[in-house]
Amino acid sequence: MTVVQTQDVGEGSPLLEVDDLRVEFDTYGGSVKAVRGVSFSVAAGKTLAIVGESGCGKSVTVQSLMGLTPMPPGRITSGRARLRGVDILGRKEIDGREIRGREIGMIFQDPMTSLNPTMTIGRQIAETLEVHRGWSRKRALDRAVELLDMVRIPEATQRANQYPFEFSGGMLQRAMIAMAIACEPAILIADEPTTALDVTIQAQVLDLLSDLQRDSGTAIILITHDLGVVARMADDVVVMYAGQVAERGSVEDVFYRSAHPYMLGLRAAMPSSTSDRAHRLLPIEGSPPDLFSPPTGCAYAARCPHAMRICSTRDPAPSDLGNGHLARCWLHSENAPRVEALDYGAGRPASGLTSGLPA
Amino acid sequence: MWRYTIKRLIQGVVTVWFIATATFLAMHAVPGDPMSGDRAVTPEIRKNLEAKYGLDKPLAQQYVIYLGNLARGDFGISFTQQNREVNDIIREHFPVSATLGILAIVFASLGGILWGALTALYRNKLPDILIMFFVILGISVPSFVFAALGQLALVKLNDFLGFSLLPVAGWGTVSHMLVPSLVLGLGTMAYLTRLMRSSMLEIINSDYLRTAKAKGLPATRIFTRHQLRNAILPVVTVLGPSIAGITTGSFVVESVFAIPGLGRYFVQAVQQLDYTVIMGTTVFFGSFLVLMVILVDLLYGFIDPRVRLE
Repeated sequence: MTVVQTQDVGEGSPLLEVDDLRVEFDTYGGSVKAVRGVSFSVAAGKTLAIVGESGCGKSVTVQSLMGLTPMPPGRITSGRARLRGVDILGRKEIDGREIRGREIGMIFQDPMTSLNPTMTIGRQIAETLEVHRGWSRKRALDRAVELLDMVRIPEATQRANQYPFEFSGGMLQRAMIAMAIACEPAILIADEPTTALDVTIQAQVLDLLSDLQRDSGTAIILITHDLGVVARMADDVVVMYAGQVAERGSVEDVFYRSAHPYMLGLRAAMPSSTSDRAHRLLPIEGSPPDLFSPPTGCAYAARCPHAMRICSTRDPAPSDLGNGHLARCWLHSENAPRVEALDYGAGRPASGLTSGLPA
Repeated sequence: MWRYTIKRLIQGVVTVWFIATATFLAMHAVPGDPMSGDRAVTPEIRKNLEAKYGLDKPLAQQYVIYLGNLARGDFGISFTQQNREVNDIIREHFPVSATLGILAIVFASLGGILWGALTALYRNKLPDILIMFFVILGISVPSFVFAALGQLALVKLNDFLGFSLLPVAGWGTVSHMLVPSLVLGLGTMAYLTRLMRSSMLEIINSDYLRTAKAKGLPATRIFTRHQLRNAILPVVTVLGPSIAGITTGSFVVESVFAIPGLGRYFVQAVQQLDYTVIMGTTVFFGSFLVLMVILVDLLYGFIDPRVRLE
């Protein structure tokens, strides 16, 4: 990007602050508590990864920020989200600038279906500029070609006049990125941007995102369930489980000093690159709780190998492990018993897995 | 695109040939012939007549002559109406049917798109429920009922006003055309409304509409640029067959409103087994429909870029 986005945010105060966000969906069977008190913050120019398994509320969280959750049936029951200190929940614009497309750009999981099939790629990118900047058709289209070039689409001039069906999946996702960054947003939300792409293309798209971030200083919220992607891209990580933040902190803390048994379980379930037959993947037994009626205690208790009596009766509060590293687990309570080496599969370096727990 | 057009045209010619052959064979398979009317005809007269019209020749030879005439655009002369060429009948009465049909199609597609979009916007609310009620009526009530009701309504209206606002029957001015074309298009409009509604609802939940919202586009722009155009695609697809439905429906509406269209002659000819008129009008209507379907398909390619390259 040619213009470097400057953030008028003082040192230490985050660009986006989400505080105790709660979202429910009313259905015939009752209300689904999809997001149950999620808090996190995103610093300017940094990447925040939100990880968790399907249905844990990752997408609902970010879509609520953008006002993309259908309401009804969706309802934001409490919480705040502030962009540069200004509340954005339920608002269309702040300081005369639209949130959607202007302050926050968004790309989605399936690029094949996320673009209008009967409009040229160039026009779809230009549209954003026409609406938010009031540019003429011609000027916006010229810029769209530049943007396509910027996301490394060859022969951008011809490509801009083509329709989505003439693009490959990877190219479509790059076109989506071009569309999302057209107005140089402060935040780019990428909702599983590489899930629908094959592995070699995934790497290209991720590289593109990091390069764009380096050039423009855009903050990225990356939603994924691929821990490899997290390790590669993220500065900070939020691990979500059953609509709550199980653990959050810097990527080093969450990965190397994992403090929540869920994160430990996820890591044990990760394939490793060493082709050793002794390396068995350890799935987490069971499935996430039903969010129609979330359990009274810790949502993970039923699957947790370390569950104590208190875990099934009282929901733990997040424990601060220092340096912004939080874990929502009773094991970090002062009264919790000391947990010695956890056995997460033979052949795994056990030291790294347990180091986050009080020894 | 050119290759596609030419391919479609050749297919069309084959279809018309098929229609012509099927009509020819069906005509001759029906018992009786144009000469076996109410009046008794002596064997000599019958023989002379058959010789005059070529009906004494073997069927295969008649078929060859018939196809040859068709290729030259000559549908022959009527058996029952004196000195009238089928071409004259078509030339005189087809424009009336075509005007009626085109008005009905315009009315049906505009109405269908409008009502369909409205029902989708007000899904499960009062406007939706009301419109869908009338849609069910429109689909299930046959056009002759609507034609009679429409005419009755006109009579009552003119009676109430004390002067003739809209003529009850006949043909000639725009005011003659309004109610018949409305009645004729009603069934198709109801059908298109339903189609439009479902395709609108499908698109409301589509990924690209979510993208459009995430881009921060105003609701009106999302509706016109992203939703409407894509929702119209299925409607355009069925326009071709709809034209067929409207033309066949026009036979009834024409006779109720005493409109001098081609349909009336067609029905009359079938009753009198007037070979040349039946075959002429059938082949003509058939080719007209085939042409319409081809035009609609080409139009579809114009709206949906994905169809163009194939």
